[in-house]
Amino acid sequence: MDKVRLLADLPSLIPRGSTVGLGGGWFANHPMAAVRELLRARRDDLRLLALIGSIDVELLIAGGAARHLTFSMISLEALGLPPAFRRAVQAGELPITEVPAVALQVALEASAFNVPFSPLRGADASELVTRHPELFGVVRSPFGDEETMVVRAIRPDVAIVHALRCDRLGNAQHDGSTIYDPVLAAGSQRVIVTCEELVTPEETAEHPHMTHLAGYLVDAVVHAPFGAHPCSHVPLYAVDAWELIDYQAAAAAGGDELAAYVERLRVETEEEYLTRVLVDDRAAMLAALAAAGETLEPT
Amino acid sequence: MSEYETHELMVCRIAEEMTATGGYVSILGSFTPLAYAAYMLAKLTHARDAWLCGFNAVGVPAVQLSFTGAEAALYRGAQARRQFLDNARFVHVHTRGLMECVSSAQLDGDAAVNISVIGDYDRPTVRLPGAAGAPEVLQNFRKVVVYFARHDTRTLVPKVDFVTGRRTPISGAARRAAGLAGDAPVTVVTPLAVMVKSEDERPFALQSVHAGVSVDEVVERTGFALEVPDDVASTRAPTAAELDLLRTRIDPFGTVQFDFLGGEERIAYLKKVLDRERAHALGRLG
Repeated sequence: MDKVRLLADLPSLIPRGSTVGLGGGWFANHPMAAVRELLRARRDDLRLLALIGSIDVELLIAGGAARHLTFSMISLEALGLPPAFRRAVQAGELPITEVPAVALQVALEASAFNVPFSPLRGADASELVTRHPELFGVVRSPFGDEETMVVRAIRPDVAIVHALRCDRLGNAQHDGSTIYDPVLAAGSQRVIVTCEELVTPEETAEHPHMTHLAGYLVDAVVHAPFGAHPCSHVPLYAVDAWELIDYQAAAAAGGDELAAYVERLRVETEEEYLTRVLVDDRAAMLAALAAAGETLEPT
Repeated sequence: MSEYETHELMVCRIAEEMTATGGYVSILGSFTPLAYAAYMLAKLTHARDAWLCGFNAVGVPAVQLSFTGAEAALYRGAQARRQFLDNARFVHVHTRGLMECVSSAQLDGDAAVNISVIGDYDRPTVRLPGAAGAPEVLQNFRKVVVYFARHDTRTLVPKVDFVTGRRTPISGAARRAAGLAGDAPVTVVTPLAVMVKSEDERPFALQSVHAGVSVDEVVERTGFALEVPDDVASTRAPTAAELDLLRTRIDPFGTVQFDFLGGEERIAYLKKVLDRERAHALGRLG
């Protein structure tokens, strides 16, 4: 069995109109090579799902790829409000479904458990619950009088996650942030894993405790070194904040400047992208930054 | 008495809320640098046994705050690694969550927070980042601490434009009856004061004002009703030891300032922070 595919083939694995769940969170471990490949394919039809999205969702919105967004947060942290997301929603161009983060994970888990909904001790007083009766309800216990909030199962068509290592069987290993990737994958119809390194199943079996996504859940495996860039992939590389600053400047300007930023990503291959952005000692610097974080002991 | 900045006082005040006893977990939530500094300070001083989580790392030591380096440091020091959903079960929707500070665009007198929209939800004037885990944190954690970089009537409003989350009920007795944990008030820390709401039917009360701030100023700049006791306390100043920890070990790169800056000023500051972090990383390479 060989699930290994080329990055250039990734868009063909995603039918038009698919709901695509993106792994990672904040600036950690989003499947950015996959995002760039979707931009290269000039997709305009995707229904995105992201738990805590950032530059992944931003770029897809900026590139006109998104028809709908289900999310709990889209943030650029120290770089401020995400310009493309903000502009599109404020203009009424991007329909959204904002869901509290735990509820969104429980919805994915309900899908993984093959049940129509799951109970949740949720946020009763949030207006996000009351404005989405298609997602939230209340049921009475069959065993007594207790009433419990329930959240409906959400089943993305495709999940895309980024891993440290993956083998041809789809076993995906991590040594850092998985964020919500396992429940995203388990709740999705199909799963694509991009990975820093392709290994053999024998190498996987040397460290099975690092396999957070078993291959039976995975449909396709794509080798994508630096595939989370400009996000981090601990322990290999830290977030490339300098690249994020460049994006933010283009996105804040909008118009031609943002269009040019996105177009450049579209026309270059992933190899050309990495050669361009990992300029000078950038790659070594990102590795050094990941290694430099200090733990503190009480004195 | 040491000279200190307001944000340092706020960090120390929030750190006091992190009480160590029992198997309760505090979480480094979405981009709240001032809160991270408070957790690290508590972990290095009075709450050495406190459980801290960040990303998928559980049982982490204090780490040096760093835009680029903290994530990796958390994993390096962690006692456990857990999936998000594992943490969510015990911590976000059960009774093991202690603290996960929230900072929002708006807060109102009912202690509702808004991190979703300014204006109408369907056609907002400003679309904000969104709820993340705040609704469940506000509802289920033992303690709720909300902090703001500004104390003004645009932030502390009569009624939020949208209720992203709201703790209900607030009072300890009502929460116990509902099977919910926690009997601490909702605590709000701003650059001017500390306000607390302990009862569902009573407004926020002014607990303390910071040095040099008048009660009248606080009331004037708060857009909701505030109970003012006869003797309003003065928020305690940071100790020399706390300031030394914050400035030399916890936040030498100055990441807490991100909470206080916006727009281009914040990006310019980020570049400076990155230069310092890069110099630090290069220094370690020797």
